[in-house]
Amino acid sequence: MKEKVLKLKEEALQELQKLNKEADVLNCKAKYLGKKSKLNELLSSLKNLSVEEKKEMGPLLNQTKKELEEAFSKKLEEINSQISYDFDETLPVYVQTGSLHPITLVAKEMTDILKRMGFTVVSGPEMEEEYYNFEALNIPKDHPARDMQDTYYLSNGKLLRTHTSPNQVRAMQKYGAPLKVCAPGRVFRNEDMDANHENTFFQLEGMVIDKDISISNLIYVMRSLLSETFKKDVKVRLRPGFFPFTEPSFELDCSCLICGGKGCPTCKNSGWLEFCGCGMIHPNVLKESGIDPEEYTGFAFGFGITRLAMMKYKIGDIRVLNSGDIRALDEFEIE
Amino acid sequence: MLISCNRLKKYITDAEDIDFLHLWDDFTLRVAEVEGVTVKGDDLDGVVTAKIIECEKHPESDKLSLLKVTDGEKEYNIVCGAPNVRVGFVGVLVKDGGMVSGIKIKTRKLAGYPSEGMMCAVDELGIGSDHDGILELPSDTPLGVDFKSLYPVEDIIVEIDNKSLTNRPDLWGHYGIAREVCAITNHELLPISLLDIPDDKKDLDIEIANPELCKRYCGLEIKNLVNNKTPLEMQIFLHYTGMRSLNLLVDVTNFLMLELGQPMHAFDERVVKNIRVQLANDKDTFTTLDGVERTLSKDTLMITNGDKYFGIAGIMGGLDSEILPDTTSVFIESACFDAGSIRKSAVRLGLRTEASARYEKSLDPNMCDVAIKRLAYLLKQENPEMEITSNLTDIYPEPLLPKTVVLKKNKLKKYTMIHFTDEEVVNSLTSLGFKVEVLDDAYSVIVPTYRATKDISMDADIIEEIVRLYGYENIKEVPLKLELTGKEEDTVWNKEYDVKKFLASRYSLNEVHSYLWFDSDLLKECHLEKQNVSLLGKNENNILRDDLSLSLLPMVKNNLKNFDKVGIFEIATVIINNENKRRLSILLADEEKNMKDIYMNAKEIVVSLFQTLKHQKIEWQKEVPDGYYDENLSYAILIKKKTMGYLKVFNGVCTRYIGKKKALVAIEIDFDEYVSLPVLETLYQEVSKYPTVTLDYTILTSKNMKYEDLLKILKPFYNKFVKEYKLVGTYEEEKKMKYTMRYILGSEEKTLESKEIDKFKEKFMEHITKNGLEILF
Ligand SMILES: [Zn+2]
Repeated sequence: MKEKVLKLKEEALQELQKLNKEADVLNCKAKYLGKKSKLNELLSSLKNLSVEEKKEMGPLLNQTKKELEEAFSKKLEEINSQISYDFDETLPVYVQTGSLHPITLVAKEMTDILKRMGFTVVSGPEMEEEYYNFEALNIPKDHPARDMQDTYYLSNGKLLRTHTSPNQVRAMQKYGAPLKVCAPGRVFRNEDMDANHENTFFQLEGMVIDKDISISNLIYVMRSLLSETFKKDVKVRLRPGFFPFTEPSFELDCSCLICGGKGCPTCKNSGWLEFCGCGMIHPNVLKESGIDPEEYTGFAFGFGITRLAMMKYKIGDIRVLNSGDIRALDEFEIE
Repeated sequence: MLISCNRLKKYITDAEDIDFLHLWDDFTLRVAEVEGVTVKGDDLDGVVTAKIIECEKHPESDKLSLLKVTDGEKEYNIVCGAPNVRVGFVGVLVKDGGMVSGIKIKTRKLAGYPSEGMMCAVDELGIGSDHDGILELPSDTPLGVDFKSLYPVEDIIVEIDNKSLTNRPDLWGHYGIAREVCAITNHELLPISLLDIPDDKKDLDIEIANPELCKRYCGLEIKNLVNNKTPLEMQIFLHYTGMRSLNLLVDVTNFLMLELGQPMHAFDERVVKNIRVQLANDKDTFTTLDGVERTLSKDTLMITNGDKYFGIAGIMGGLDSEILPDTTSVFIESACFDAGSIRKSAVRLGLRTEASARYEKSLDPNMCDVAIKRLAYLLKQENPEMEITSNLTDIYPEPLLPKTVVLKKNKLKKYTMIHFTDEEVVNSLTSLGFKVEVLDDAYSVIVPTYRATKDISMDADIIEEIVRLYGYENIKEVPLKLELTGKEEDTVWNKEYDVKKFLASRYSLNEVHSYLWFDSDLLKECHLEKQNVSLLGKNENNILRDDLSLSLLPMVKNNLKNFDKVGIFEIATVIINNENKRRLSILLADEEKNMKDIYMNAKEIVVSLFQTLKHQKIEWQKEVPDGYYDENLSYAILIKKKTMGYLKVFNGVCTRYIGKKKALVAIEIDFDEYVSLPVLETLYQEVSKYPTVTLDYTILTSKNMKYEDLLKILKPFYNKFVKEYKLVGTYEEEKKMKYTMRYILGSEEKTLESKEIDKFKEKFMEHITKNGLEILF
C-alpha cells in the first residue's frame, strides 16, 4: 500500500509537470485530489485498517495530500503569473491629427516673440476706409499707391486694405502714445496671380512710439526679432527706401540665411536678403493721429508673413496657400 | 534705369580715381538699390579700323561681295554680305583670332572663297541693334587703330531699381546720379556746357491754359539743321542705356532725358503754328506717334497746335509732328507737367512712356530752360551752321523757389543717438547741393529745387540726407527701454489661435485660407444670386462673401477628388450689411450614407466649442439661415436667447455641387460674439456623502418619434430625488425605436430608502404608460 501511495504521488507529479494551462491543472487536481480520486479513496479506507497500519499510512497519506496540494498550488501560481497575450505588437499606429495653416503657425511664432518684447497684438478690418489705408498714412490723393491697378476699390466706396499699416493709425487713435503694437493680417492687391504673386496674402505690422525712440532702437528690435525667428544670429542692415508713412524710410536686409553672408545663389552673392520695409514714423502720420511729433518719435515696420512662411517651409508656389488643398496643407501639424 | 559709367565720368572731377566697378554696393547703401552691374566691351577683341580697297561681286551670289581691306599695314580678303560696301569705305574689321559678341573669329572659306576675318555691323559689335549694313566710320579715321580705343565701347552699365527712385525725381538722369556719386566719394560735380541763347528774336506763340497742370513750358525754334546723323559715341550711349537710336534730332532729346531727367520733344517746325497747353474734350480721339488711335477724356492734358491736337502732354507726341527725313527746322519743347495729372492720364490711356515715368515723379521745373540750352549746345556740336530763330520762350507762371527747412540739432540726435559735428552736417548736405546756415541749436537748410518738388519738405527729410551719407551701418543698436504695454486686444488674437488649435488637434480638422469673394462658378452652379458689396472693375469673382461656409464649398469639392471624407475650417472675414464680421466656419463632408455620423460629429463640435472652451450651455432652435439651407436639419445655436451661429445643412443643389452622393454639414459661428462670450467660472460642487441609485429604462416608441419628442414627455415628470437623467443608448428596429434612459437618484441629506425608490419606479411607469409609451424589461 505504501508503494501504491508513493507511485500515485509520482504519477500525479509527473502528469502535472507536463501541464501548462490552468484548466488542465484544475482537471488534474480533481483527478488526484478530488472527491473521487484514488487518494481520497485511500483516505476514506483508512478507517478499515489496523492501528499499526493506520499509524504508518495516516501520516503518509496526509503528507502526500499536502505535498500534492502544494505542488498544484505552485503550478497554478506559476501559470497565472506568466499569462501571455496573443497579438502582433509590431503593428504600426497612425495618429490622426488635423493641421493649422502655415501662415497661422508663422504668425503665431512671430507674435509670440513680439509679445515677449512687450508688443500688443491688434487687428483691424479687411474692408477698410480710404482714410485709414491712405490719407492718414500720408498717402495723398494722387500718389501712385492709390492706382486702380493695385487697390481693390469697392462698390460701397470703401476698399480692401492694401497693407496692414491702417492698424497703425487705428492703434494710435485708440490708445495714443506711448505705444507698442503689432498687427498680423490679410491684405489685398489687385494683381495677376502666378507662382510668386497672390492677390490675397498676409503681412505683419509693428510699431513703437515713445519719447526718444531712435533708429538705433529699430535696428535692435528687427535684429532680435529675426534672430529669434530664424533661431540663429542674423545681422541686419538698413538701406535707403521710400514709404510715404515713414521718414527716413529704410529697406531692411538680413544676412543670408543660407550662406550666413559669404555669398551664394540665394542671395545673388551679396550675402544679404531683402527682408522688409521700415522707418521712423512720418511726423505727418503722428500728427494725423493726434500725437505730437515734437514730443514723440517712433518706428514702424511691415513685412510679408506669406513670403516668410514660404521661406520657412520651402513652399515654391504661393498659390498653394489659398488653395485649401489638404494634401499640401496637412503637412503642417500643430505645434 | 540703366546708367553708363562712361557718361558719369564726364561730370565728375578726377573720375579716374573712382573704382566704378565696385562703387555700387556703397551706392545701394547710401542712395538707391542697384540691381546689377554689367561690363560692356569685354566680349570684343582684335577689332581694328580698316578701309575697303577692292570690292567685287561674288560670282555666284547676289548678296555676297569679295573685299580686300587694309588696316594700313596688311591686306585681308574678306567675304562680306553687307549691302553698303564700296571702295574707300572705312569700317571695323575683326581679324583672324579676334572676337565679336564673345565669339572667336577664324579664317575660313565662305561660299568658296577664304575670308580672313569679318567686317562688323553695330549689332555684332554690341553697340547697336542695327544689322542693315556694316558700320561706317568717318573717312578720316586712322587705320589699324583698336576700335575700343577710339569709341567708348568699354563701359560699365549699372541697373538701378526704378522703384527705389520713386521719390527721387533728381535721380532719373545721369547728372543726378553723378551728384550722388560725388557725395559718396568726395569728388566735385562738374558743370555741364550750355549754349547761351540771346533774347533778341521773336517770342514763340505759347500759352498755358491750365497753369495748375503745366508748371512751365519752354519753347525754342532752331533752323538749318542739315546734319541729322547721330555721332557714334552718342549712339553707343543710347544703346547701352536701352534707347533706340533713330536720328540726331530724336536722339538728342532722348539723350537729354537720360542726362538731366528732363523729357523733351522736337516737333517739325514746318507744322507748328501756335502752342496751347490745355485739357482735351471728353471722348475726342487722337493718334499718337506709335500709330494708335486713343480716346481722350476731359482730364487729359494736351498740347495743341493751331487748334488741333498735337501731343498728349508729357506722354507722347502725335503722328503729324513727327521728325521726317527732310526735317531741318525744329520746335523744341521742354516743359514741366503736374505729376498726378500725367500719371492718371498714362494709367487711363494704358500708355506709360519714359517721359511719363519721369513726369510722374514731380520734376523740377527749373530744369526746363537748362535742358533746352543744353540741347541747343549739343545740336550745335553737330550742326555748327544751325540758326536759333526764336527767343527761348519761357512760360513760367509761378517760379519754384528754393525752400528753407530748419533742423533742430537735438532732433538729429534723438533720431540717431549720434553726435554729429556742425562740420559733418554742413559737408554732407553741401555735397548734395544744399546750402546750410549753422545756428546755435539748429541748422537752417536751403533745399535746391531739384529736391524740393516732392522729396524734401521737413526736418525728418534732412535727417535722412545726413544719416544716409554717414552710413546706416554705422548706427549702433540700442535696446528698447519700454515697460510692458499690453492692451486688451491681445486676447482676440489668442482666442482665434486657441480655437484653431482646438479644432485641429481635437477634431483632426484642417485649417484653410480662402478668398474674401465668392467664386462666380460656385454661385452659377448652385443657382444663387448674391447681393453684396462688390469689387469695382471686375466681372468675375467680384462679390464679397456674406457666408463663409458657402464660400468654402469649392475647397470641399476639390478635396473630395482626393479624399472620401473632408473636414476643414477657417476663421475669416465676411461682409454683412456693409460691415466686417469675423466668422468661424467648419465644413464636414463624407459619403451620403454617413450623413448621420458627420451631423452628429458637427453637433459634438458645436457643443464642445461652447462647453469645453467657454463652459456655456447652448440651446438649439430650428432655423434656416438662408434659402439654400435645409429646413429640417438646420439649427440656430443659442446662448441665453442670443444667436451664436448655426449648425446647417445645405440644400440638395449645393450638396450636389460638391459631388454625387455626398453628405455635407456646416457650422458657422459668429466669432465676434464668440470672442466676447465669457468663460463661465465652474464652481466646486460637493460630492454627496450618500450613495446614488442608477436605474436604466428602455422605452419603446414608434419610429417617427424623435428624441426631442421623447424629451417633451420626460421633462414634465418630476421627482425630487432625480439628480440627472440622460440617454445612454438607442436601438433602431424596423418599426420601433428603443431609447435607454438612465436615471440617477439620490439625496444630499440621506441614503434613499427602498420605499422611496419604489415610489419613483411606480410613478415613472405610470407617467410613461400614461403617455402611451411602453417600458421594456
Ligand atoms: Zn547667401
